[in-house]
Amino acid sequence: MRVLVAAVPREATQFESSVKPLLREFCIDCHNAKKHKGDLNLEAFLIQSAQSALVERTTWTEVLSRMREGEMPPTEEKQPTPERVAAVVAWFDGEYAELDRHAAPNPGRVTVRRLNRYEYDNTVRDLLGVNFRVSEDFPADQFGYGFNNIGDVLTLSPLLMEKYLEAAERISRIAVPLSKPYPNLAMRYEAEASGQQRRAHIQAVHDFPVDGTYNLRTAWEQGLPNNFQMAVRTFVDGNEVLNLLFVHGSLMDRAREAKGVAIPRGTHKIETWIDVPPPAPGARPTAYPYPVRIEINGPFEQVPREQSASYRQIFQTEGVFATNAPAKSARQILVPLVRRAYRRPAARKDLNPLVGLVNSVQERGGSFEDGIRTALQAILISPNFLFRIERDPTGNAPHLISDLELASRLSYFLWSTMPDDELLAVAEKGRLGQPEVLHAQVRRMLADPKGRTLAENFAGQWLQTRNLESLKPDRNLFPDFDLPLRDDMMTETTLFFHAVVAEDRSILDFLDGKFTFLNERLAELYRIPDVQGREFRRVELDGTVRSGILTQASVLTVTSYPTRTSPVIRGKWVLENILNAPPRDPPANVPALDETDGGSAASIRLQLEKHRSQAECAGCHARMDPLGFGLENYDGIGRWRTAEGGLPVDATGRLPNGKAFSGSEELKAVFRADAPRFVRAFSEKLLTYALGRGLESYDKPAIEKIARRVEQHNHRFSELVAAIVDSVPFRMRHRENTESLRLDTKSDTSQETKPNKTP
Amino acid sequence: MKPLSRRTFLKGAGTFIAIPFLDAMVPAFAKSAPKSPARMMYVYAPSGMIPRYWNPTTTGRDFEYQRIMKPLEKFRSDILVMSGLSRKPLGLAMNDGGGDHARAVASYLTGVRPKKTLGADFHAGVSADQIAARVLGQKTRFSSLELACEDSRTVGACDSYTCAYQTISWKSPTQPLPPEINPRALFECLFGSAEVSDDPTERSNQQVSRRSILDLTRENTKDLMRMLGPTDRRKMDEYLTSIRETERRLEKSHSNPHALSLPAIGKPSGIPADYAEHARLMFDLLTIALQTDMTRVGTFMMAREGGVRPYPEIGVPEAHHPLTHHRGNPEMIEKVTKIECYHMEQFAYFVAKLKSIQEGDGTLLDHSAIVYGASMAEPNGHDNCPTLIAGSAGGRIKTGQHIACEKSTPIANLHLSMLDLVGVPTDKLGNSNGKLDFLTGIT
Repeated sequence: MRVLVAAVPREATQFESSVKPLLREFCIDCHNAKKHKGDLNLEAFLIQSAQSALVERTTWTEVLSRMREGEMPPTEEKQPTPERVAAVVAWFDGEYAELDRHAAPNPGRVTVRRLNRYEYDNTVRDLLGVNFRVSEDFPADQFGYGFNNIGDVLTLSPLLMEKYLEAAERISRIAVPLSKPYPNLAMRYEAEASGQQRRAHIQAVHDFPVDGTYNLRTAWEQGLPNNFQMAVRTFVDGNEVLNLLFVHGSLMDRAREAKGVAIPRGTHKIETWIDVPPPAPGARPTAYPYPVRIEINGPFEQVPREQSASYRQIFQTEGVFATNAPAKSARQILVPLVRRAYRRPAARKDLNPLVGLVNSVQERGGSFEDGIRTALQAILISPNFLFRIERDPTGNAPHLISDLELASRLSYFLWSTMPDDELLAVAEKGRLGQPEVLHAQVRRMLADPKGRTLAENFAGQWLQTRNLESLKPDRNLFPDFDLPLRDDMMTETTLFFHAVVAEDRSILDFLDGKFTFLNERLAELYRIPDVQGREFRRVELDGTVRSGILTQASVLTVTSYPTRTSPVIRGKWVLENILNAPPRDPPANVPALDETDGGSAASIRLQLEKHRSQAECAGCHARMDPLGFGLENYDGIGRWRTAEGGLPVDATGRLPNGKAFSGSEELKAVFRADAPRFVRAFSEKLLTYALGRGLESYDKPAIEKIARRVEQHNHRFSELVAAIVDSVPFRMRHRENTESLRLDTKSDTSQETKPNKTP
Repeated sequence: MKPLSRRTFLKGAGTFIAIPFLDAMVPAFAKSAPKSPARMMYVYAPSGMIPRYWNPTTTGRDFEYQRIMKPLEKFRSDILVMSGLSRKPLGLAMNDGGGDHARAVASYLTGVRPKKTLGADFHAGVSADQIAARVLGQKTRFSSLELACEDSRTVGACDSYTCAYQTISWKSPTQPLPPEINPRALFECLFGSAEVSDDPTERSNQQVSRRSILDLTRENTKDLMRMLGPTDRRKMDEYLTSIRETERRLEKSHSNPHALSLPAIGKPSGIPADYAEHARLMFDLLTIALQTDMTRVGTFMMAREGGVRPYPEIGVPEAHHPLTHHRGNPEMIEKVTKIECYHMEQFAYFVAKLKSIQEGDGTLLDHSAIVYGASMAEPNGHDNCPTLIAGSAGGRIKTGQHIACEKSTPIANLHLSMLDLVGVPTDKLGNSNGKLDFLTGIT
């Protein structure tokens, strides 16, 4: 499938009168047939007509973006006047916009998508009502285009297949438990290193096999200093189950237990905090108690399996289930289960083999429930469950996807999980395609608690804050940084993003929204007073040095080295994630920038300036580095600083287009002034995530349309989501030509020169 | 403040769980073949080596062990060091621009330059270990094992390429095999999960139902594929291949009813925070897999290529990769060298372990050929990839010396010779232009 190029440019004369002269004067000295610097030969265009030149859209897009940024011609060469550049850019923009208006819509084609780990866990949770994080053991999902839900990139290895099989067995044993009770087991999680601080923390993530009661015991070492008291608090998934206050002298056994805590089956986080209030002035304790282990004992009282939600959901029983007299036939049980698991009505072809499986288990002496358990395993490894499959009708034209396919696209976009009953029912009735029904569903889904997944899943990838999990800031330089603080950082960003979603705020708040969510530790890090306790609350940021996401600790930490900040990484991060204009790759075999030389910020700035003086590096570093310098007032874990290594921090920068700024607030103002650019960049990120494929040049009209709609509606988040959901690539799909191996997406506009056939 | 507790052991009712004696653990060769099978392993070190602390200055038998290789010196007679192997044409940027590290990983065992892409159309080649696995894997439960101490769980692109390239093992040009990094998952993969019943009837029932589930799924998928376009079908092909491989593993795991006594090993509960402990745990489990003939082929990545892991426990709190761009700074060179020595110490632990296990007429090490090497030279070069082999593949490799290959010999030639040594003769791999005569020919 190729997008055909419009027949005759509207203003061909301008190509002759303004584009060609500019190329001749300022470009072809380096980009000619002989020299073709950067693999670019512009000389050839001088003898072409406007019509044939326009065909090379990929080339022009690249060239124009360099000119817009002031990156080309290089600063040391003679420069065209801004008016001349603007005229050339405007001509191309106008021509391409015109072209897009007349081109047949090309929705592209999304490759069949395997559920990634996050989606797998969520889908299992919603299918069976068991919150089991089994996918922890799956191999990491591959990333493409910045996201890990890209169909083309997600592979399935034999290792993963074996894990799917094991997970299916594990999940089905939980969902359809064996009739014998679970044995009482003790599990012990030991802390590894010791560090004695006023607030000590230990946590364990544990799989609880069955709904029941458990004892949670925390043991610690080191007695309490004289005249001190300490609080021991144990939490299950953030809910307090133990809160004890000790004073000096009352501690004998150095362990306390929360007894008989009712915990549902599934994966839960157990954590204990040991807090000692700050010493009175003058009293200086030498050592604090620190936790050494958490022990989990149980189950003691087990909830009979017939009473568990997942069991009832599968067997559709109201009261107690009689084991030997199945109230429903295998088929009756499997029809609704398959419908929800495959996200479409069950077909006879789906059911017959599963019913056969149930029978064969019973023939081998298994119970009816053993049979259902086995059938559930087969469902959980079926491609219909593991993949999101969209089918093509006959014919070659782009087509609207079916309502059921739309339901899955919606639910995996907004919730990262399967459609719920309401969405599925609306789709089955064939009503989801109606605009008012669709929009009502989108509103409902965003308001649902599951709407939080956008903040958890999309935001963590867009902002790359997920990488915090693998970062280890140097403990000597940043003793404040530990796992709870790291989690707090991520929580702040998640809550902030979610506030924009839930309150339907302007997406420009991501740039400089003057509020955030903090708890005591983060507030201490930010030196914002009057925030006490572990709980997060909304904090207004007027008059502080923070606003938006750029100055949140999560982002500032994830863009730093373990020992110090990196203007280059931060600059690159801004280009990639705020402007969606990633720098080109560094030239190969050139030693990377030597900013690791342990020196002060000032010396790094000096080295970077040296670096930018090398022509081959200058182009990108002139864009990247200044952006990073604007954030230099924030150290490697996001603390504010005005001096570093005895020298005042220099947070000034000058962008290639000449705009100068000083500090993060002025930098944000630069982005804010160019709001359309951020709107497009952010729309592209969210659309990539929504579709599960990389964007191509034929998606341009769709993005333009989405961005304009957002701009007309005060940049409201819900309008962006609605615009994406209504867009051609989201609603439609192109059939894959059986003769071509794959969509030739790269060269879609570069080959065809024939006049456009009107669609 | 306490870090997250990770090194935890499953204590079932207070007792230490020993490895269950599954049928899978019986060596396939125990009854039939008196001769020990040859094992082939590649252990991959990331981001090159500091040449002056790696390269021996003389060839032949009595060369001096430099600093990084030092931990292996006590096994001198079991080690063959090679210099001059190159990955040059594959590593150079050509028109692909940056991405030396991504190219280093994907080309190391394939001899093929990976296609430059961020997504959809990634393409490399079949790796040497997977060529061996196709043949040697017929006889074992796992045709191969892919292990690592770090995976690419990071967001975004990996060194200007899609992160799919972050593994050295490739089953097909479009099917990378991501490594397992979690010792607990590896344990369960080798020995079954804790929930596997110890009642033989129940276990055999489980096997029967597994087989029928897979069977049913395979048939349904074939049906489904008829309705899909070519790209979607390719994805489903991948799925089907994996189903078949899983079926095969099940077949192998229950073909032999003998038992073998093994050292007890606790079931790890996750990934230890300590690097050395993590690496050693993985090597322990790998040793058992090799010893019990669960597999004969494997790859092991000490860390991610171009990775940014810091090693504060050995006095290197800085990220690894940026340090390797040291530009002659002695302090940075020292830190990089420390990391390289640290990796090597863990490998030496593995070698010692293999050597301690008696097997037939020698040791497990004797019956193996284990390459330890890096795909990068220093810092971003591609000539003279640091390479050594531990073990003699049953006396076939003349260990105990340093051999300088002709300059710029493709490293793919080494892979071909390795394949010869383990009985999987192959003519061509990527950019190979021959074999290493000193390894496989007459010496």
